Amino acid sequence: MSGKARNIWIWVSAGLLCLVIVAAYISAYYYMETQKYRQLYEETSRELSKFSGYILVNILIDYGNGSAVWHNNTAVVRGASLFEATKAIAEVTYERYPFGVFITAINNVAGNKTHAWLWYIWNSTTNNWDIGQTGAESFILKDGDAASWVYTKWA
Amino acid sequence: MGSRLLFSTRTLSFVSLMTAMNLISNYAMIGIPNVKFMDLFVFVSGYVSGVVPGVLVGVLTWLVYGTMNPYGFSFPILIACCVGEALYGVVGGLSARIGLAGSGESFVGISDAGFWRDNLKFGILGFLLTSIYDLFTNIISGITVGLTPLIAIINGVPFAVAHEVSNFFFFLFGCKTLIVTVRRMAFKGGEKYEWKS
Repeated sequence: MSGKARNIWIWVSAGLLCLVIVAAYISAYYYMETQKYRQLYEETSRELSKFSGYILVNILIDYGNGSAVWHNNTAVVRGASLFEATKAIAEVTYERYPFGVFITAINNVAGNKTHAWLWYIWNSTTNNWDIGQTGAESFILKDGDAASWVYTKWA
Repeated sequence: MGSRLLFSTRTLSFVSLMTAMNLISNYAMIGIPNVKFMDLFVFVSGYVSGVVPGVLVGVLTWLVYGTMNPYGFSFPILIACCVGEALYGVVGGLSARIGLAGSGESFVGISDAGFWRDNLKFGILGFLLTSIYDLFTNIISGITVGLTPLIAIINGVPFAVAHEVSNFFFFLFGCKTLIVTVRRMAFKGGEKYEWKS
């Protein structure tokens, strides 16, 4: 092989070496990225598995004076009642009776002779708030339920 | 008793000029990480004026740019950059000895295959030099912050690819043209100046 031909092949090899370097860099980079995201996926899956026994509900507390606070995506244990969910998001005072619990105050706003805390559940079929038909302790929440506590003047 | 200077005044002026050009372009392009004309200028300095002036341009540029840099200062990284940058000057000087740019005294038409063949050689050389520079500086930078060399190299891949690919194109399109331009500028009084480092 002549010197000139050898010279050409040296440069062709050098050019291919450049391509190999770029390919190696890109391969190594994406391999590491894959590993990183796989690890993140596994960590996230593990975290999410901890919540498999939980449901997410939305609870509104309406103080009746124009002030209302939403507690959206509140995680509660599957099978929890509205009473338990309310205790998780607010300071609740209640009394126990043979028929169930009666909530007397939420976040220090107490019922009296003219006002009481009533609860409602959102009916997505009629798009209305339906008043609770049972005690809050007896109402078992489902995933995605929206409930509200309204400080209501009843007398 | 006369004393012999290590470099001619012309060479020192050239080193200063190229260092200044490097600094101006580096600061102007500071917003584009790892894409700089500096490596090309250092290589051309080595090619045109010899190994030692080329190394000087690289080292002096980094001494200023690495010290007064908004991204911060790190002594080990500065030394690594100086050593890495010196490589461009060394290889530039050695390339001149083997006549990589051909006669290099005049432009040839862009339709000339020889022009593009020489340019391609410079592009490949620029890419490979930059690979060595990135490998070296990424490892030193990684060790400085407590990373293993492999992780340091992989973390630096996006920057290394940007650096190497941009330098490939800078060397491809700019190297021979710049060498010829610098040589043409070295005329004095209408007579061609024979460069002696």
